[in-house]
Amino acid sequence: MFGHRKEQTEAWPLTGRVCTLLDVPQGRKFRIVEIKGGPGLHRRLLSLGFHRGDLIALDGEALLGGPVLVKNLNSDTRIALGRGIARKILVEPADENER
Amino acid sequence: MNDRVPVIVFVGQPNSGKSTLFNAIAGFKAQTSNFPGTTVCHAHSEVAWKDRIYSIVDLPGTYSLTPQEPQEKVVLTHIFKERPDLIVNVIDASLLCRNLELTVELLELEYPMVVVLNMMDLAEKKGLTIEVEALEKKLGLPVIKTVATRGQGTRELMDRVEKVLAERQTPRHLKYSGEVESRIKKLTERLPADFPVIANPRFTAIRAIEAETLAVDKFILDNNPDFKNDLDQVRQELSALREAPAYEVLAAERHHLALKIFEDCCRVRHARLSGLEKLDSFIMHPVLGLFLLLLVFAGMFYLIFRVGSPLEAWLLKPWEALRLGIQEKYGQNLLAELLVGLVQGIGGGVAIVFPYFIPLLLLMGFLEDIGYLARAGFLMDAFMHRLGLHGKSVPLFILGFGCNVPAIMATRILESRRDRIITALLIPFIPCAARTTIILALVAFLLGPWWALGFYALNLVVVAVLSSLLTRIFKYSSPGLILEIPGLKWPSLKNILQKTYFNLKEFIRFAWPILIAGSVLLSLLSFVNFDRLVNAILSPFVSGLLGLPSELGVTLIFGFLRKELSLLMMFQALGVGYEQLLSVLSRAQLLTFVTFVSFFIPCLSTLAILWKELGRKIAMVSVLLNLSVAVLVSWLVRLAFSLF
Ligand SMILES: Nc1nc2c(ncn2[C@@H]2O[C@H](COP(=O)(O)OP(=O)(O)OP(=O)(O)O)[C@@H](O)[C@H]2O)c(=O)[nH]1
Ligand SMILES: [Mg+2]
Repeated sequence: MFGHRKEQTEAWPLTGRVCTLLDVPQGRKFRIVEIKGGPGLHRRLLSLGFHRGDLIALDGEALLGGPVLVKNLNSDTRIALGRGIARKILVEPADENER
Repeated sequence: MNDRVPVIVFVGQPNSGKSTLFNAIAGFKAQTSNFPGTTVCHAHSEVAWKDRIYSIVDLPGTYSLTPQEPQEKVVLTHIFKERPDLIVNVIDASLLCRNLELTVELLELEYPMVVVLNMMDLAEKKGLTIEVEALEKKLGLPVIKTVATRGQGTRELMDRVEKVLAERQTPRHLKYSGEVESRIKKLTERLPADFPVIANPRFTAIRAIEAETLAVDKFILDNNPDFKNDLDQVRQELSALREAPAYEVLAAERHHLALKIFEDCCRVRHARLSGLEKLDSFIMHPVLGLFLLLLVFAGMFYLIFRVGSPLEAWLLKPWEALRLGIQEKYGQNLLAELLVGLVQGIGGGVAIVFPYFIPLLLLMGFLEDIGYLARAGFLMDAFMHRLGLHGKSVPLFILGFGCNVPAIMATRILESRRDRIITALLIPFIPCAARTTIILALVAFLLGPWWALGFYALNLVVVAVLSSLLTRIFKYSSPGLILEIPGLKWPSLKNILQKTYFNLKEFIRFAWPILIAGSVLLSLLSFVNFDRLVNAILSPFVSGLLGLPSELGVTLIFGFLRKELSLLMMFQALGVGYEQLLSVLSRAQLLTFVTFVSFFIPCLSTLAILWKELGRKIAMVSVLLNLSVAVLVSWLVRLAFSLF
């Protein structure tokens, strides 16, 4: 929970494995599989340009259970998401060469 | 064309540079800042271009036409109700792909429209090459490149606007994939005859499908029971096509159209990591970033103090001499008293504005322009959660250090009303530029910088304690942070200077005259001994509870207008000059008084904006809250001094 999560090189990528945005290492490419949670949240993320199938990467996180920083590699935008929300975004590892 | 003034609205995603472009065309009228959500209500201006008058409207940014925040709803009112003659869609060219999603949506209105690719300088730096002709062809719209900060491209834009209006060019919408398009067509044909059509039937049908789960949906359906069946069926079919809610299917269609256009018209060379990006990873670093945040604010106030205090001492001298000269020459008659009042009012203004106010505005402008506000929100989110709010309030508090009024207006960017109310109730406790000036000019100047810093710390503690109390009273779970982090930008000096000038003008136009008039009025009141009456009435409170000289009572009345007034008038009320203040007041008394005045009521303009934004009840709550906090905290300060 504390500090900067170091780039984890060991176990990734486990292709086909779906996990939440909270469980992924920084800097790797992932694809959005599903956005859980109510329609309010869903719409908000859609309008910010985060859609199913988009490539994203975790770009940083704040201390002490603070938000995570998510970069959308398709549209090159960054948003900060609280952990409660990041938990509702399911992703799967994507090929590093994909775009 | 007829003689009516054509209305042109600027629509675009937040932070795309609409207000900057508006200012470049219409003269400096709107606030700009590198933070998504700077403009929260519209600004409009009449502009003459080649013998014609145009009415140009700068709107808040909106990510899509399905509004979620109150300021985004302003956009819809303008587009739907007050049907504009032309839409200028301002795009941040460096974020072309996402910005195009809104463009596709706006195209569906089939209103006359011109697309502006703003921030071309940033796009080029990022390695983006955009083929304008290809883009024009794909969209069926004129596309103009601009760099709003340098005023580049504004002439071409106005020429194009003129042409489009003269030729009455209206664009056609882009086509979704066949299976989706056929469903929309089906619904379009079933629209009841009396259905309120917005723009055109296809657009109306799309809106109706997307209204699923929104409040308007129930309204539409209750009034049209027959239509309900058709709508439900179309939604189900769309949903079945992609295994997603219908609204997502349509959003995804636009997303793919935008992606396709982007790929067809745009080439990306991979640029190497710029210096700014390296700086950004430092700013956003979970540990170092927090240190930097502390350093930035501590450094800022230290710098202002170092610059301000020698300047203040130097600026005060001639006014002080003038005051003594007048008293010596004319003695104790009405004219002399009024003159002294005048001199103290003007001199107070000079000694405040130049040494502290201007540097503070310049530094705040710098932080806003590089894009630091959103980053502070990101870094402080975890901390804010402990106080029951979230990080999106942080940029608003920081704005409040400049002036409380725009900060309260900006609370519109918060999604929930509960967060909006709590943040707006807390903002008046944030020391604005005028109050900071007083803290620096009085506390730091007379008692030393550490006392000022301590006062600041006390102030922030009060805000934190109040926040956790208030959030405990209004209990809901906060929805969690969703905040766009705009790219870090090199600040534009012109922009910062313009912004400082804009705020300074407000101060000189409104605050300073009040300061001078108040000062003269106080002289008059004291000459006819009216102040004694007020002081006597307030004495049990002022002397009894707070242990202050009862002469200060009358200054509190003026504090209702502007807080700095009370503080400046204390010299006059006590009948001493600046440097002799500590001969009549003890350290404890000075701090008690500054504490009380800082908190005791939101200034008149803050109160007015609270009333307007959140209603009378909240404004009254705010007054009561401020009063009780002021009494409690200043009494505690007095107590603390008597104990130690
Ligand atoms: N480099 C560069 N910066 C620009 C340009 N146009 C605007 N900016 C900067 O972009 C930031 C955002 O500008 P605004 O005009 O406030 O944006 P807006 O679209 O009005 O934003 P909202 O009111 O939040 O919707 C400011 O810091 C501007 O200085 C441009 O052409 N080039
Ligand atoms: Mg704006």
